[in-house]
Amino acid sequence: MQSGGRVRRQPAWHMLASEFSEATLNEKGSGEYDPSFVITKLGAKVNRVIVAGLLERLEVRETSNGSTLYQGQMRDPSGLHYFSVGDYASESMRELTLSLVEKTEVGEPVLLLMTAKSRWYQTDEGAVYTSLRPEEACEIDAKTYALWLTRASEGTLQRMKIHNDSLSAEPTQEGLKAAGVPEHMIDGLLLSRNHYGEFDTETYTLNVMQALDIAEGRMDAASQPAPAPQTTLESSDSSDASDEDDVKETLVAIIAQLDQGDGVDFETVLTNADARGIDRQLAESKLDELSNEGTLHEPRFGWFRIVS
Amino acid sequence: MSEKYETHVKAILSECPDADPKEIAEAFAKYETEFYIPPQDAMRSILRRFKGEKSVPTNRSPSQGGTSSPRNTKKVSKLSELNGNDKDVEIEVEIISHNMREQTIRGEQKQIAFGLLEDNPWEEKGEKTRWEYKDWGPSANLAPGSIVRIEGASVNEYQGRMSLNINQSTRIAVVREGTRPVVAPGEPQDINTLPSDGYVCVVGRILASRPDQIHKKDGSGSIDIVRGRIADETGTIGFLSWEPFEHQVGSLLKIDGAQVRTFRDTPELNFGRTTKVEIFHDKNFADAESLSQQTVLTISDLRDGARDVDAVVQITEWAKRSFTRDGEERFLWSGQIADPTGRCRMSAWSELPISEDQLPVTVRLKGVRVRAWQGIPDITVDNTDQVEILESTPWDDALDLTNHTAEVELHDLANGSSRVGVSTCAIIVSVREDSGFILRCTECRRVLREGACAEHGPNNGNSDIRLRLVMDDGRSSVSLLTNKAATLELLGMDEDQMKAAVEEDGQMAFVQSLRSKLLGRMVKATGRTIVDEQGAMMLADGASIMEEDAGMRATELRAHWGVA
Repeated sequence: MQSGGRVRRQPAWHMLASEFSEATLNEKGSGEYDPSFVITKLGAKVNRVIVAGLLERLEVRETSNGSTLYQGQMRDPSGLHYFSVGDYASESMRELTLSLVEKTEVGEPVLLLMTAKSRWYQTDEGAVYTSLRPEEACEIDAKTYALWLTRASEGTLQRMKIHNDSLSAEPTQEGLKAAGVPEHMIDGLLLSRNHYGEFDTETYTLNVMQALDIAEGRMDAASQPAPAPQTTLESSDSSDASDEDDVKETLVAIIAQLDQGDGVDFETVLTNADARGIDRQLAESKLDELSNEGTLHEPRFGWFRIVS
Repeated sequence: MSEKYETHVKAILSECPDADPKEIAEAFAKYETEFYIPPQDAMRSILRRFKGEKSVPTNRSPSQGGTSSPRNTKKVSKLSELNGNDKDVEIEVEIISHNMREQTIRGEQKQIAFGLLEDNPWEEKGEKTRWEYKDWGPSANLAPGSIVRIEGASVNEYQGRMSLNINQSTRIAVVREGTRPVVAPGEPQDINTLPSDGYVCVVGRILASRPDQIHKKDGSGSIDIVRGRIADETGTIGFLSWEPFEHQVGSLLKIDGAQVRTFRDTPELNFGRTTKVEIFHDKNFADAESLSQQTVLTISDLRDGARDVDAVVQITEWAKRSFTRDGEERFLWSGQIADPTGRCRMSAWSELPISEDQLPVTVRLKGVRVRAWQGIPDITVDNTDQVEILESTPWDDALDLTNHTAEVELHDLANGSSRVGVSTCAIIVSVREDSGFILRCTECRRVLREGACAEHGPNNGNSDIRLRLVMDDGRSSVSLLTNKAATLELLGMDEDQMKAAVEEDGQMAFVQSLRSKLLGRMVKATGRTIVDEQGAMMLADGASIMEEDAGMRATELRAHWGVA
């Protein structure tokens, strides 16, 4: 029996943050209700994920149209997920978000598990970032987190294997089918191969090893810093040790790149900085400093230009 | 302890010189032991805490009005939304047929294309409307079976008939290439590749044929027809002939111009006046006996509307019922049947040589038909010859089918037909906000919305318990509704404890507590499924969280995948 396709609920992928955040490809059907997908390097065509980790940041932000948006980040052993909760979220999700904001403000550790929709956006200069829109979330204990880590690891290992098997096959529907690629991976792998070309899966192996160390309770092993640098994309960790001039340089570079003559608005600067892993508050204070130093000026309120 | 985290504590101290090193080390230990977060991952969170950062909401961003140019395009998803004078129309349709003809326009010979298109192309079984179209272009992108987005077409209304005009300026984007094989007329197709509608040609052997009558609904009489079944090596399909049909069971026929129509969930061939039926000669064509093996189905294969079904099943319950029609008392026998793939119902219009004390009885059914009631298949036996009592079961005798549940993978449940007596394991990915206590209509058991039933209006309702969940295996998902017993079993609570929890914390906090318990966990559910075009739903009378050991799973994964 043929499936109805579009009316069916999209499945949830168990996925580590590194695989999701490195994705730069998306697909949106032409119809109004067509689901949109983020396609990962390993060929997962992701509309929904089930992810978990340590809630590292959760802040409220007033948006330009007066609605409230909470932005947060969640860390698992492989990296960070960025997510936002807006007025469109369900009542229970908004209530939970409020209580989580209180906890992060006092520095209480929170392990979070969420099912979320994948989001994708592209900056004017063409850089692509992914983020999440949680549908349902809950606090979990270490045991449930460890179980999730094993499932996300298993999913990653399966996708790595299928991806690897697909490399020697002809890049067509029939070719992948003949190579034994499961049906739900065929579309994604074809798109992924076209877009990403060749890449090294070694970092995913390291991510999985670290996740499994934690699930086995071998925290000492898990505490070894990951031996390889993550990717060419600037990882958010870089801002940890960031020396503050780097942040300023990045902000100036963003403004230089995006300025089309009228300056660049506050929100765009912060979104782009955020996407490069620079904390919003840090970026905000550095923007102030740059203005005070005279590197930047505001031709209009909230619009920044480089003083030439 | 503080030594273990020395480097991490130093890193924090370099940012927050006033912090207490002991407190920092304790924080790292807490993250690691209580939350399984290694120090390098906890770094940022701990840094934030000791920095004592407080978030300040910002509202500096100026509003930025998006500019969208007004368009006059009328974008619709259904043909019925269009009016006779609509000009710049955008719609996605499936091209059903596409023909070319020469026409003289202003003294010039021109090719134009025409045919039928159909709206709502993405829903497999949705309501669809067909219109004629004319393509003056003509565009090379129109091909039968393809789904296209037409932008800038205009509607033509002539004597109340609506059609679509496609011009040279109309943009046609192919959204999906034609997947229906374009088959030359007269070229036989394999039975298992037949489309769900349209005219086809098949070569097959007659497995069953019997005269039947269709009674007109208005009572104006009846039509003589012939029903039967035809098979080739790839599959079998039922047929209905509106014309006299005298070929014997076992004959090999070529049938050209038969129309496929789908009745309930089952496609059927229709033979009419324009259908050409002729004897076909092929010495190598499989004989009737081997072809008829294909009609032997298990309960998991049964589809609403199927006919001429053969099956071996065990009758586990059997009872005689009486009802009155036209003032006359009539009898019907019905009960439960089972095989190793599941359970369903069976009804017979005549008495079978089965008494209740012999149960369970294994029988071979031949040529029976299938109806479905609320998604559950119900086999109908029209006469006694269709049932043969067997001495023994073809499956393991020890299998007790009265309480047997077949373990089925979620993906197969989501993509199969409705089934009874199944169980499956998958991850819970959603706990709906209306899980918990509900009120059901006192008349029909529907869930009351704001104290009222959609059918029977406001009433006090009867209290009941159920959860609305979604389970998911990474490829498919199934809505899971647990009844009262399954809910209490799953949560490990009794009704009073549950009531207290809801009253104390409120519904939202209760739902959050359910999510903390269930989201991301593997659950085994037992019950029946209803699968329709909306997706699959499982009604569970049993449910439990699978006990899993993360450490063991991790070690197994390492061994299986060779990650040292």
